Amino acid sequence: MDFDSPEVMKDFPGLYSSEKKKGADNDYNDESEKTTKKDMLIGKRKEKKDKKDKDKGYAALEGESSDEASPCKSKKSKTFKFTKSKDKEKEKQKEKHEVTKKSRPKKSEKPQKGRKGFGPSKQIVGGSSELADALPIFGVDLEEACKRGRCHDGIFIPLPIRECVDYIEAAGINFEGVYKISGPKNKVSQIKKLYNNRQVVHFSEYDVPTATSSLKMFLRDLPEPIFTNDLLIRFEEAGAILNYNTREKHLKTLVESLPSVNRLLLGWLVVHLHNISLKKHVNKMDKQALAQALNHTFHVSSRLLHALLLHQEALFPNLTITKYYPPLDSGSALPDDPVIIEKELSKLESLLSQIHWEMQNGHISKTREEHLWEVQRITTELKRKLKKFAKTESSQPDQAKSSQEKQEDNAKDELDNTKDELDNAEVQDQATVVISEEPEAPKLEQASDENKLEEEKEIHVEEKGDCSGILKDQQRSDSEEDEYTDSEITSTDSELLEECQYFDEKIVTMKIKNNLLKELIETLMMNINKEKMEIGEYQRQILNLKRGLPQRPPYKKCLKDPNSFHEVQTLLARENHMLQIKKLHLVRQVMEQTEQCIDLTAKLKYTFKDIKDQKIMQGKDITTKTP
Amino acid sequence: MSKKPTVQPALHKVIMVGSGGVGKSALTLQFMYDEFVEDYEPTKADSYRKKILLDGEEVQIDILDTAGQEDYAAIRDNYFRSGEGFLCIFSITEDESFQATQEFREQILRVKNDDNIPFLLVGNKCDLEEKRKVSFQEAQDRANKWGVPYVETSAKTREHVDKVFYDLMREIRARKKEENKTSNGRGKDKNKKKKLKCCIL
Repeated sequence: MDFDSPEVMKDFPGLYSSEKKKGADNDYNDESEKTTKKDMLIGKRKEKKDKKDKDKGYAALEGESSDEASPCKSKKSKTFKFTKSKDKEKEKQKEKHEVTKKSRPKKSEKPQKGRKGFGPSKQIVGGSSELADALPIFGVDLEEACKRGRCHDGIFIPLPIRECVDYIEAAGINFEGVYKISGPKNKVSQIKKLYNNRQVVHFSEYDVPTATSSLKMFLRDLPEPIFTNDLLIRFEEAGAILNYNTREKHLKTLVESLPSVNRLLLGWLVVHLHNISLKKHVNKMDKQALAQALNHTFHVSSRLLHALLLHQEALFPNLTITKYYPPLDSGSALPDDPVIIEKELSKLESLLSQIHWEMQNGHISKTREEHLWEVQRITTELKRKLKKFAKTESSQPDQAKSSQEKQEDNAKDELDNTKDELDNAEVQDQATVVISEEPEAPKLEQASDENKLEEEKEIHVEEKGDCSGILKDQQRSDSEEDEYTDSEITSTDSELLEECQYFDEKIVTMKIKNNLLKELIETLMMNINKEKMEIGEYQRQILNLKRGLPQRPPYKKCLKDPNSFHEVQTLLARENHMLQIKKLHLVRQVMEQTEQCIDLTAKLKYTFKDIKDQKIMQGKDITTKTP
Repeated sequence: MSKKPTVQPALHKVIMVGSGGVGKSALTLQFMYDEFVEDYEPTKADSYRKKILLDGEEVQIDILDTAGQEDYAAIRDNYFRSGEGFLCIFSITEDESFQATQEFREQILRVKNDDNIPFLLVGNKCDLEEKRKVSFQEAQDRANKWGVPYVETSAKTREHVDKVFYDLMREIRARKKEENKTSNGRGKDKNKKKKLKCCIL
């Protein structure tokens, strides 16, 4: 059985080919039968072993089953042999190559039909195993994975993720329990192999769970979590914030401080998961369920994942998932539109440079070389098409020009129109702001007049300036919502007053909050200073003690066994770590609660003051309406 | 495996090499599409495929038109490795391009590690007799030294254009047949060896 383990495969890539040769003489089949019988006898113990190192176990099974699969296997083993051997039977080899290429889709249909059908992957192992071993896409640094599994349309996301997401968006969005149900491990590892070997993966030949599990595997295999080691804890902290707005704010800054590759990938996945959650009535996977199904994949708590999904729109506002269309291959029809041709050409160039790069790094195989020629051929053909198009263009310059000019004129007209509209809108906005500001000033003064301090008045006026921006924004959004018309601009006094009241409330509460926060900071600073002094005191005490006592007896005396000492040490370290996390959570909670307290006290103070205002105003001026 | 190989015609891979501006692309385009391009535009790399009848047998030819400029030398190596036959082109109106063929020959032999690789020395632009700088004899001597044929062509007038491609393909075909014979014997040997190796393991 040891022969079947993947490690051995790596070290001896020729191992299976020769064994399969035997298989043709029925040698190996007998052997494998024997081993399976043995396995059955050993039974449970064996199962346990498999569970211990699952991957190994599955790989081993895979090896076995593929050896048992008979008729098409022998063909494959031949191809395998040929691709390995360098300078023999060139013609035959190529013929066979083409045959296998043609029949590949047929073979890869098999996994669906039940038999494990490891045909394609096996074949590739022969074709370019070096590349898969030396430059795998799974299990490497994210940026490296993006380079190796490049999407040629310029979006820097690893190909496996891109294609999984595309497939799941297309086929899995209505799949009940998507991301919850995992795919068969052998198929998933087969897909991993295909990607590592730079082979085309047709997800339509698999199923949704396989795709989701492949995506999960990619993320799990990343050496560093997508949130990065540095930011992971801070993300967790932010995700634990109870207040919706503060949480969003914290998450946003954290997302922005991620490296661009991580940010894009995270955004891509979060938007994708959000899309899935939109169909929760069909796929039974709401945000909570998705977060629980995927938290291990992301190496985070489900709470954080859930938070990210909740804040998806604010965190990744302009991100939409675009389907990836790989560069054209020899089978696809060539486009006629010069714009599309240009796009395809840039994709092909990207692919070409990647193949060249891989080859220059010494990863040369027959299939790779053939691929290079094929890609080059398509590129040439497209370039020719483009040139032809340019020629016909230049031969009919007048027509093209006139039509272009027309288009430009139209565009200009449209631009002018929109400009006018914009100007109008601005004028409207300004008007409303001016109108609303005029009565506001005396109101504010009134409010602050009643409110004790003259200093505050000054701050008030200052703040008014700041708030005018907010005012404007508010006004604009209002106008958008209500579709302002001219009649509405000259709205009644009462409406304006209501608005003023609203902003007044905002400003006053904000100001109160401001003061409260300042107080909080002061008290906190005092506490910090106190604690600093205490720390200094303790340090002094320690120093004094050290001077007094020559040396402490080492711990070893009480713990005779050094092993148990280590155990105790690790246990303590772990406990300390747990306590640290708990402490962080508590600090976070305390801060949130203080924030909420401040919010509430500010409101309280305002309403309290409001009542006062009302009383005074009723006394002074009855004509002004107050809500 | 029995039927398909007969359906699929044999594929021969030809690579055009030579310094910049000697007419590699012009020869290729003339052969591929019967067209002559006057304006010069340096090639980075281009690849073409065509089905033709070679002595009554349908075959496919893959032509790779490489860059003459040294800027793309790194890419060139990747292609040389997969070429089965080479057309080494110079312009009879430019001695430098003729001298450069020596380097190309060496580079190919180095990459392919095979002295008998199908190879033709081609003197292009033979329609410009009045501007000739490289004499026929000089070129023929070099070809003899290498043990390869020498042909003069004109991409403009289409003189000998088909000839160089067909001659080269015949060489490639002959070469492949030969290899088949020898490798059949060797192949079996290797299988035995592998078996042995496995037993040891």
